[in-house]
Amino acid sequence: MESNEIILLDGAMGTMLQAAGLPLGELPESWNLTHPDAVVSVHRKYAEAGSQVLYTNTFGANRHKLASSPWSVEELVSAGVRCARQAAGPDRQVALDIGPIGQLMEPLGSLSFEDAYETFRQILAAGEAAGADLVIFETMSDLQEVRAGVLAAREHTKLPVWVTMTFEASGRTFLGVTVPAMALTLTGLGVEALGFNCSLGPKELLPLVRELRAWTPLPLILKPNAGLPDPATGEYRLSPEDFAREVAEAFSCGVRMAGGCCGTTPDFLRALRSRLPEGPAGLDLIEARGGICSARKVAENGKLRIIGERINPTGKKRLQQALRENDLEYIVSLALQQQEAGADLLDVNVGLPGIDEKAMMVRVIQALQGAVDLPLQIDSSDPEVIEAGLRAVCGRALVNSVNGRKEVLDAVLPLCKKYGAAVVGLCLDENGIPDTWRGRVAVAERIIAAAESFGIPREDIYIDCLSLTVSAQQAQARETLQALLAVKRLGVHTVLGVSNISFGMPERENITVSFLTQALAFGLDCPIVNPNQAAIRKAIAAFRVLSGADEGSEDYIRLCAELPAVSAPAAAPAAQAAPKAGPSGASPLESAVLQGRGEEVARLTEEALSSRSEMEIIEQQMIPALNRVGEAYEKQEIFLPQLLRAAQAASQGFEVLKERLARSSRAGLSRGKIVVATVQGDIHDIGKNIVRVVLENYGYTVLDLGRDVPPERIVETVLAENIRLVGLSALMTTTLPSMEKTIRALREAGADCKIMVGGAVLTPEYAKEIGADYYARDAKRSADIAREVLG
Amino acid sequence: MEARLTDISRAEALRYLGVRGEPDTALRRDLDRCAALLEAGVRPRVCWRLFPRDEDGNPAGTALSLQGQDIRRFLSGCGQVILLAATLGAESESLIRRTQNRSMADAVILDALASAAIENVCDNLCADLAREFAPLSLTGRFSPGYGDFPLSLQRDFCEVLNVSRLLGITLTPGGLMIPQKSVTALVGLRADLPAGEGGEASGKGEPARAPARTSCASCALSHSCAYKYEEGSSCGKQ
Repeated sequence: MESNEIILLDGAMGTMLQAAGLPLGELPESWNLTHPDAVVSVHRKYAEAGSQVLYTNTFGANRHKLASSPWSVEELVSAGVRCARQAAGPDRQVALDIGPIGQLMEPLGSLSFEDAYETFRQILAAGEAAGADLVIFETMSDLQEVRAGVLAAREHTKLPVWVTMTFEASGRTFLGVTVPAMALTLTGLGVEALGFNCSLGPKELLPLVRELRAWTPLPLILKPNAGLPDPATGEYRLSPEDFAREVAEAFSCGVRMAGGCCGTTPDFLRALRSRLPEGPAGLDLIEARGGICSARKVAENGKLRIIGERINPTGKKRLQQALRENDLEYIVSLALQQQEAGADLLDVNVGLPGIDEKAMMVRVIQALQGAVDLPLQIDSSDPEVIEAGLRAVCGRALVNSVNGRKEVLDAVLPLCKKYGAAVVGLCLDENGIPDTWRGRVAVAERIIAAAESFGIPREDIYIDCLSLTVSAQQAQARETLQALLAVKRLGVHTVLGVSNISFGMPERENITVSFLTQALAFGLDCPIVNPNQAAIRKAIAAFRVLSGADEGSEDYIRLCAELPAVSAPAAAPAAQAAPKAGPSGASPLESAVLQGRGEEVARLTEEALSSRSEMEIIEQQMIPALNRVGEAYEKQEIFLPQLLRAAQAASQGFEVLKERLARSSRAGLSRGKIVVATVQGDIHDIGKNIVRVVLENYGYTVLDLGRDVPPERIVETVLAENIRLVGLSALMTTTLPSMEKTIRALREAGADCKIMVGGAVLTPEYAKEIGADYYARDAKRSADIAREVLG
Repeated sequence: MEARLTDISRAEALRYLGVRGEPDTALRRDLDRCAALLEAGVRPRVCWRLFPRDEDGNPAGTALSLQGQDIRRFLSGCGQVILLAATLGAESESLIRRTQNRSMADAVILDALASAAIENVCDNLCADLAREFAPLSLTGRFSPGYGDFPLSLQRDFCEVLNVSRLLGITLTPGGLMIPQKSVTALVGLRADLPAGEGGEASGKGEPARAPARTSCASCALSHSCAYKYEEGSSCGKQ
């Protein structure tokens, strides 16, 4: 796209084929084989109207959509490319057209990244072999799906990659992806052009085009619908002339490829051709913006950004235990707490001796992406872990970290470039951390030079000048600050772990906060801190008032209203009103559980620990309390929401006990392990999740395999973990056979376990018929069954 | 025709939650709080399309074939049929899923409220359609999976209505819709309803000007429904 000329794309294929007799709902791609003349004729009409790039009729030709058709992906794709090529001749380009797979990816759906990648790879290989000139991923609404496609194209073909996504007028895709997130992620991945198709009419898309232009230097693509459709008939309302006039307005916003989507015909393209500027199109100047992002949120460059440090097991026994036990819920809870406390990014470090760091990094990233919107910082020194993390991150990640050592730079920087990530550079090298600020700046300059040699610009480099413990090396605090000041002048961003400055000092918070404030004044952009410490949050908020970033001090005032004053003594929680009287004879802890007051349960548990062991508390207080809850539920004095509230309250007590046990490195509290899963083909898992929560709060360890789980995976886990109780759920009549199949597989594998089943359409009779041992009509019943089987 | 969410029935949500009798104050407060979250967090979307029926009774010009006795009976006398779809969007899916990480109790309440909410969106759409097509009468809604109208038609139905592009609804390999809080349905249009053969299979005999719901008899869950057999109770959908 060296020249600034506009390339004319084509218009709708589906609209034209329907006009030629394709029934609604029939696979349009099948016509590549059954009616090739009709397909070629559509292409020809667009070519005659001036289209320079013809999109192949292969939008839905993927293995999932073709699963029940008689055609293979290879057949339909190569036939599609042939049809387009026939009309294109040597002068026009053929774009291999790839639409969404049609199934939702994890975490909302059940399609895995690997499956999506392989699905795209198959189309891409066939398309390239058949002679396509480039690939266009279009009508996309899931950024992760696009990433899978772009990576497959990069890793298996030499085709230039274009991407257009579909947005609603709200400025988001159906899955909530924002324009900046799309721009940063795809520009980072190195696509050749990006933009919008379908969605709306050109006029409605224009504001989004302007926004996109601010976030990427790439040429933009615009292929809108012919206005908005008439719902009754499905017909679009814009005339070719109006359409062309509206599209032409986008040329000054960087649109360099233009065509039409639903409802457009060769007439629209002809009208558009007559609107093309003579010679190169002009370009409005627009501020260039950048940052780190998830699919929904950007931590924008130029702003103070808080990186939450808590997902890092160093020195944190409870997190170490969670990692060893694959307890992703605990890790997610750390993320949620930090998000609520105002973190802009989350550091993710899962390095721990004895665990598979690479697999864990991917699992944790997936779990976090299902729970929070924050962009992520991948924290590892192992390039393999970093790459696995980069593949999993949906968005644009920050990699923590490289340093001045050549072998580290050579191993990690190419990964950052490939996945479009930004990178943290630590001011140290094979000789350790330089004592002087000048020495650190010299390392920073080496890192910057190396990054630039790999094509990573300064705006994507974050330098960490390193803070050292002031109790051991007092003079170093000044050096760090001086280095910050100097590094900032190099045109890079700065990042700094602040907390360890105060290690070994009394009243650490004073030192940490003071250092943090000074560092911010010396040019720190991204402090890595624990945002759940009120003093830290307030110091940052105060700094933003003084720097003018917090206009009208609104954020600061809101924060002060939300958090107690730092200097006031912590309010004694015991001063709260005495627990309401529960049912006669109930202990305060029991009452608190029954009434679902979690914080009080935690406090009472803490108190009880002064006189009792963890096990005594569980057996003498928690379990009786939960039993009372169960009885009340059976008697219909309380219902599902209250049952779950009580279970949640109890879990806060369990968390106190777990924390205590982890600190003293003693064995866990589990009453036994149970596998639960929603069977293959079913995605309705809320019932199963309810059962998990209740079972966990009766003290069982629950291995939750998720939903849409193949029988083999259940069998494998049951055998490997020596499981004695399995819970299976299915909501739909159509997925009951899959439940039966799973039970059969477990029996055939000789698994020595009892099986309980539940779900809306199950009956006790049917449960028996398919070979289950127990029918669990609700979560309470599943806890009774667990007690019967496991004690 | 805009998607409209005007009222989330607490009574319906309570039924889904299995709550009998009057909810206590705490639960009522939770319902209101979660309903506010849902209203603020979801974006209902609808689409529909009108088709004449061809000589086989199917929507003309489509690949959709209406199999089963029940749908035929349901549409008897209807010269045209509306295919409609409604969803609370990926926002609802995400909200309910994410809330499970914080509070399972809130999540089940949200889930129940969302089920009530999507019914309300459908009711509103049908009310709008009834106005739009007056003086023609509208039948109630009939969805794939009701009675002997196979759920396996969901895929064709969604293709014809182009719901993935228009609403962001996708299907799992087993034909289940995600977002889960989505509905597809057929609504028949006819000049008038002879008395006694109402669009409602419940046989009230009233012309179904106002959109009606379907009956227990044609419900796929009728054999195991927890509400059907109980005196004075129902799932609220008939």
